[in-house]
Amino acid sequence: MTIHHVLKKEMTVQELLLKAVQNGRQALSEYESKRVIAAANVPVTRETVVHSRQEAVEQAARMGFPVVLKGSSPTLTHKTEMGMVRVNLKDANDVARAYDDLMGKGVDLEGVLIQEMVKGNREFVIGLTRDPQFGPCVMFGMGGIFTEALKDVAFRVAPLTEDDAREMIGEIRAAKLLDAFRGESAVDQDVLVQALVGIGNLGLAHEDIAEIDINPLIVTGGKPLAVDALVILKRGI
Amino acid sequence: MERFFDPKSVVVVGASNTAFNLGATICNMLKDYLSYTGAVYAVNSKGEVVNGCPGYSSVLELPQAPDLAIIIVAARNVPGIIHDCAQKGIKRIIIESAGFSEGGETGEAMQCEMDDVARKNGIRIMGPNCLGTLSTRNKFCSFYGVNPSLVEMNQVFESPGTMSYIIQSGGVAVLVMESLYYDLIGINKVVSIGNKCDVDEADLIDYFQSDATEVIGIYLENIADGRKLMEAAARSRKPVLIYKVGKTKEGAMAAMSHTAGMANNDSIFDAACRQAGIIRLQSIDELHSLPKIFTEMPRLKGKRIAAFTNSGAFGSIAADLLVQAGLQMARLAPQTQERLKKAGQVFNIKNPVDIGPALPQTYLDIFEILLSADEVDGLLPLLSVWQTFVIDCLHELLKMCKHYDKPAAIYTPNAIAKSIAIRAKHKIPIFETSEQAVRALSVSHTYYASLRRRNLLYDAMLQDDADNRPIAEVVS
Repeated sequence: MTIHHVLKKEMTVQELLLKAVQNGRQALSEYESKRVIAAANVPVTRETVVHSRQEAVEQAARMGFPVVLKGSSPTLTHKTEMGMVRVNLKDANDVARAYDDLMGKGVDLEGVLIQEMVKGNREFVIGLTRDPQFGPCVMFGMGGIFTEALKDVAFRVAPLTEDDAREMIGEIRAAKLLDAFRGESAVDQDVLVQALVGIGNLGLAHEDIAEIDINPLIVTGGKPLAVDALVILKRGI
Repeated sequence: MERFFDPKSVVVVGASNTAFNLGATICNMLKDYLSYTGAVYAVNSKGEVVNGCPGYSSVLELPQAPDLAIIIVAARNVPGIIHDCAQKGIKRIIIESAGFSEGGETGEAMQCEMDDVARKNGIRIMGPNCLGTLSTRNKFCSFYGVNPSLVEMNQVFESPGTMSYIIQSGGVAVLVMESLYYDLIGINKVVSIGNKCDVDEADLIDYFQSDATEVIGIYLENIADGRKLMEAAARSRKPVLIYKVGKTKEGAMAAMSHTAGMANNDSIFDAACRQAGIIRLQSIDELHSLPKIFTEMPRLKGKRIAAFTNSGAFGSIAADLLVQAGLQMARLAPQTQERLKKAGQVFNIKNPVDIGPALPQTYLDIFEILLSADEVDGLLPLLSVWQTFVIDCLHELLKMCKHYDKPAAIYTPNAIAKSIAIRAKHKIPIFETSEQAVRALSVSHTYYASLRRRNLLYDAMLQDDADNRPIAEVVS
């Protein structure tokens, strides 16, 4: 039985983390990670985990095309590099083929993640890290595949006030991208602020969380939406 | 904490008559130079008297439990002495000896043992590997090896001031104390905290809230407890200026996330300073060059600066510097420009205001016009002292700044040695370069903004208890 099967509505973040740590896991799957960050006020993509081609096609139709399929596993922390992501699947045939593709990779998967396809030109990153002197710290910056090359990020020590969050958003060099941009509306900063405050509080409340990457956080219709997320767990239990 | 700075009696453990004995330098300074009136005891293996300080071979033999023990012996002997101090009932100890946590595993084990004894006996320890305390008002100093006959050191005690330093390096302590002697502000207290096994910078920030200190300057090589430091700084109602060097140890494990990969100690310390209202300094020199903007001038409450010069060149330099520092050139209102026009001999009535060879009254009029203008938050006078009357005008400016509750960061484009001499003789807060003056305005504003914000900072509690929030199924 895979972890998401026991993910019931009433299961709390605390229980989910505890179970994962007790099982000696180093990270949560993308699906689990999104449940955790959603509880901390970060808007996430609509998605579900499936275990058969049939289920994949049904769920994709229910969600509405196009969709994205990703191999789902807590040990799979770099899905794109592993070729475990299929995007812009427009119909049932696309989905069926992609499902077979992913399952045939020879990677140990607990299922396949079906996700709404999010379109937007602006990609940001939100993260959590633990500093040896200052404890949990929140990061905000330019996301996407160039994150580490651009290094356009700002940090704050948790807990963050709303003012802290607003200030760090304005601190990145590319802060202009938060305004209306090439026909897209300005980013809803209140949503970003709540997300940053929420991630800081999450880090303070849960020692079991070592690090978090939410990247990319894509802006669509002015609303930021977490498209990928990774929660790294504390080691050495 | 007071007993560390103003003990009524002291024992120097390790003071003897051996040549080059460091403990003896402490006895000599207290007795000969500071005319310390409390009892000073010396403890050494022979139990010999040191410069008139009664000698004993053990702490246990002292006729009383002194307020403070200063220990300066080989590290391996320190734990035993701590035990003796505990037994004797001594509650404050400065350990000047080195060779503990900075000196490998056995040193670290000794430090742990001492911490344990101290905790159990309610003893507070400063150090190890430090110089301890200096308090000008109490004429007390635990520093070893100081030669008080040096003119600067003498002066430090003769004119107590309002600047207090917490410094993790003896050399930097000497540098800032000597430098302040050629500046305006006197020293209140200096403390060298070394490895800070117990008393740390956060404890001292709290302590400096209730004494004559006006500005707290800190030099750090490492931070023991970042959150404790942030909390103490956020509580502080006096400016806290920190210059920090060195990178801390990376986490034991390699980072797995991109976030942890991009986090570095420097950017996080920067964020911590901003959140706690700490002024992060860019150089050691700022420890002594910047405090006068806090002690001598009102706070800069907005960002709009009027520059005023009697040499056009410095006006345009100032404009660039102000913008780089995140401040603004004030846009002078028509009525302000009108008033400037009437002041006479003004070449440029827009900011930067530029005058030619003018009479003293013109300087005073311009100070008044600019400081009283609603669109001006602070002044940057760049005034060459080409006539001695300029000095008198600057004296008047100080009074006007107090009256209008707006600061001026004065720079005199003269030889630095001349500017320093004028500053010392006439007690005018002159900055040595235009960069320094602009930086002073910038930190004054940063501090003011942080005071306003900090009332909110620690109200940020865990608003939502994520523990008890059920996870919503996203796909229904």
